[in-house]
Amino acid sequence: MFPRHAMTSAPSNSSRLVITSDPHHIAEADEFLEGALRRNKVPEALVTDVAIATTELVNNAIVHGNKSNPHKTVTLEIAFTDDEITVRVTDQGAGFDPSHIPDPLAEENLLREVGRGVFIVRSLMDEVRYEQGPGGGTTVVARKSLSSG
Amino acid sequence: MKLTEREQNGVVILEPKGKIMGGPDATLLHDKIHDLIAQKKLRVVINLAEVDWMNSTGLGILIAGLTTLRDNKGDLKLACVTDKIQSLLTITKLVTVFEAYDSIDQAVTSF
Repeated sequence: MFPRHAMTSAPSNSSRLVITSDPHHIAEADEFLEGALRRNKVPEALVTDVAIATTELVNNAIVHGNKSNPHKTVTLEIAFTDDEITVRVTDQGAGFDPSHIPDPLAEENLLREVGRGVFIVRSLMDEVRYEQGPGGGTTVVARKSLSSG
Repeated sequence: MKLTEREQNGVVILEPKGKIMGGPDATLLHDKIHDLIAQKKLRVVINLAEVDWMNSTGLGILIAGLTTLRDNKGDLKLACVTDKIQSLLTITKLVTVFEAYDSIDQAVTSF
């Protein structure tokens, strides 16, 4: 049985939170993230951008990656250097191909209720990449320069 | 997110407060709009002045409200859109979908 959540301190300037795949935990992930950003004196405009992007990633990991399976976890890690913030969100799902997401800006998709999350993450962060784990699971790595925004 | 409701000149004004990011937020506003439709209250303004930010879940909730109300011959309009939400509406091209007004009064009288 997985713990509902667990928080650990990493040796460098980074933090990690593990939550189970319940959408109710998205707010918990946001609270954890914004706390870490503010402790590291990240400007408020960047806090908002990173928070919006990260809640997208956590939501996708819970709902699409882990299919809301309560026995699967999502790991959120945030790391700071002098120049940038790096967020890593890892699920335990079957993996996915981000190139297969329909264009949310296409006229026929504008009134769709879903399908904008990845686009918004790419718009708000400076770099986004996807890593597939050898045994399954996807890690999304999103980077934001402290000089951007 | 917290949600309050009031009426002005026969128009329902919904006032979410906080962040709209998914989880229970996704159903609160959705359920409220369906309740309003059941009560034949089909003219709705969402005052976004007290919303810190929203992600794609929040945008999806707004679209669901808009399309559901229009399908029932009603409409949904936005008021007091903050800079951050305006930015999201712009990059997602949803500025072309929603009518947005600087004040609640302007939104109410637009019906």
